[in-house]
Amino acid sequence: MRRLQAAAALAALVVWAGAALGQAKDPKAYKIGAILAMSGQASFYGTVMSQGIKQAVEEINAKGGVNGIPLEAIFEDHKSGNAQEAVSAMNRLITINDVKLVMTSFTAPTQAIAPLADQHHILLVNGGGVANSLVGVSKYIFHIRSLAADLGRAAAIHANAMGAKKLAVLHWKNDAGDSVVRAVQPWWEKAGGTIVATEAVPQGATNMDTQIAKIRASNPDAIALWMFNPEVGLAVKRIRELGMKQPVIGIEYTANDAKIAGALGEGFLFVNDYFEPVPDQPWSLRFAQGYEQRFKSKPDFYAANYYEGVYLIAELLKRARPKGGDYLDAEVLKKALYENPKFDSVYGGQMTVQPNGVAFKRVGLFKVEGGQNKFQKFIEVK
Amino acid sequence: MDLFVQLFANGLVNGSHYALLGLAFALIFGTTRITHFAFGPVYALSAYGCWLSAEKFSAPLPLAIVAGIATGALAGALAYLVVYRPFERKGSPPLVILIASLGLFIVLENAIGVAFGTDTKVVPAPPSTVFLWGPLVVTGVQLAQVVMLALTGALLWLYVTRTRFGKALLAMTDSPDMARIVGIDTLRVSLVAFAVGSAIAAVPACLILVKDGATAHMGFIAVFMAFVAVVVGGVGSLRGAVAGGLALGLVESIGMAKIPTEWQNSIAFVVLFVVLLVRPTGLFGGR
Repeated sequence: MRRLQAAAALAALVVWAGAALGQAKDPKAYKIGAILAMSGQASFYGTVMSQGIKQAVEEINAKGGVNGIPLEAIFEDHKSGNAQEAVSAMNRLITINDVKLVMTSFTAPTQAIAPLADQHHILLVNGGGVANSLVGVSKYIFHIRSLAADLGRAAAIHANAMGAKKLAVLHWKNDAGDSVVRAVQPWWEKAGGTIVATEAVPQGATNMDTQIAKIRASNPDAIALWMFNPEVGLAVKRIRELGMKQPVIGIEYTANDAKIAGALGEGFLFVNDYFEPVPDQPWSLRFAQGYEQRFKSKPDFYAANYYEGVYLIAELLKRARPKGGDYLDAEVLKKALYENPKFDSVYGGQMTVQPNGVAFKRVGLFKVEGGQNKFQKFIEVK
Repeated sequence: MDLFVQLFANGLVNGSHYALLGLAFALIFGTTRITHFAFGPVYALSAYGCWLSAEKFSAPLPLAIVAGIATGALAGALAYLVVYRPFERKGSPPLVILIASLGLFIVLENAIGVAFGTDTKVVPAPPSTVFLWGPLVVTGVQLAQVVMLALTGALLWLYVTRTRFGKALLAMTDSPDMARIVGIDTLRVSLVAFAVGSAIAAVPACLILVKDGATAHMGFIAVFMAFVAVVVGGVGSLRGAVAGGLALGLVESIGMAKIPTEWQNSIAFVVLFVVLLVRPTGLFGGR
C-alpha cells in the first residue's frame, strides 16, 4: 500500500512539474530597455526616439497592456554613441532591471552590446543604427530602420536617373558614413559615372568649409551627403551659401536639419524610410496626432521607428506567450517572429523582416518644397 | 590656384574665429592663471543669451548680440566668483581648481541642455549676403568674423594700453605676485578679466549662432581650439593668442588642399605637437 501511495505521489509530482514547466512565466510588467542618445551632441535623436517609445507604451497600457500585463520603458543613455557607456547601460538593464527586451540605437553602441545580448538571450530591436556592419552582429538583433548603404544606393539610383555623371561626396567619417561610401562608389562607377570628390567630416563637425570648397573645385554634376542630423542641415546651408547650384541628395533630413538649413534647404532631395502621416493611412495619422498632442512637435521617422518597434515587441509577446515557459527568451521570440515576419507598420502597410534581420520597408524619395518634405516616388534598391 | 585662394580665405575666417577665442582664453588664463575649461559652456551660454533675446523677446539681431555678450560677461564673472574664488581663498593648488573647472564644464553644459532642449537653436537672421570676387566666395557672416577680430583686437589693445584697469590686467599677465605687491587689487582685476574675456568669447559665439546655429555642446571644440591657440601663440601673450589662432585656422584649411579632409581634426594636434617640440614657449612666449 505504501509503495502504491509513493508511486501515486511521484506521478502527481511529475504531472505538476510538467504543468509548471509548460506554464508561461509572466512578469509583473514587460520591461523594455532603451539605450539611446539621451545626452551629448546627438541627444536630439534620444529625445525623439524616447518620445516615440513613451507614446507606444502609453497607448498599449491604456488598452490593458499586452496579455493583460503592462509595458514599462526603462531609458538608458549611451551619450551619443559611446560604446563603453552602452555596455554599462546594458549591464544595468540585465542585472538590476532584469530586462529581456532592449531597443538600441547608433552603430557603435549596438555593436558593443550585441555580445551581451547573445550571452543573456536578450532580444534587440534597432531602429536607428544604420551601418551595414550591424547586420548579424547578434543572433537576436532585428533592424526596423533601412540601412544607410541601401538608402545611399537608392539616392545614387535617383542621381543617376537625373543624368548626373560626376558625383561629389561629403560623408561622415565613421562606420555609418563609410558604409555608404563603400556601397555606392562601385555601383556608381559601374553605372558609368565618376566620383570627382570624396570629402569627410567627423560626426559633430560644425565647420565643413574646407570640404565644401574642395567639392566646389571638383565641379560635380550632383552632390551626395552620406551623413545624418545635424550635419545634413549645415552642409546643405553651406553648399548653397557658397553659390553651388547642383542638385544635393542625401539619406536623411530631420526637422532639426530643416531648421538649420532654413530657406536654403529648398530643393534638397533625400531618400528615407517612407513616413508621411496622411489620411489614407489611419495609424500613421493617429500616431502623428497623438505625438503632436503629447510633445508639441511633429514626429519624424525616428520617433515612428521606435514607436512601431514597441508595437512589434508587443506582437511578439502575444505570439510567444502561448508557447509557455520562459517565453521572454530571445530564442523563443525570434522563432515567433519568423513564424510570420510581416508586421503592421506605422509607415503604412506592412514591413517584412528579412532572414538577415533587416526589415524591408518602403523607401521614398522626398524633396524639400516650401519648407515641407514632399514625397516624390518610391525607389527600389536593386 | 582657385582652390588655394578659397582655402586661404576660409583659413583666414576660421583663424579669426580661433583668434578671438584664443584672445579671450589668454586674457583669463594669462591674468588669473586659472585653466578655465568652463570657458566652453560659458561661450555656449552667450550664444543662447543671443538666441533667447532674438527668438523669445523678438530683439533685433544687433541688440540680441549685445545681450549675448552681456550674458557671457555675467556668466564669466559668476563662474569666477562662485566657483574659482572660494578655492583661491583657501589656497587650493592649481590642479584642484582645474578639476573644479572641468566639473563646472559638465554641470553647465548639461544645464543648458536641460533648460533649453537639445535641438539646434537658430536665429531669424536676414538671408546671408554672398560676396563673389572671381573664384572667391565669402558670406557676410564670414566677413563679420574677420572684421570682429580686427575690431575687438583694437578695442582690447586700447583698453589694456590706455586705461588704468587695462594696465593692471597687463601687469597681472606679466606677474600676478608683483602686481599684488605694487598694490593692484588682484581680486577686482581677476573679476574684470573673467568678464571681459567671456565677453570677447561671446562675439564669435553669437556669430556662430547666426552662421551655423547653437547647441549645448558647441563649447567643447571652442575651448579646445582656444587652448591650442594660446599654447601655439605663447602663454601670457595676447598678440600671441591672436597669431596662434590665425596660424591654426590657416594651417587647418590650406593644409587640406593636398591632404584628405578626414585628417582635418588631427591638424590642430599636429600643430600643437610641432610647436611644443620646436618652440615650447610658443610663437610669442618669451619666458
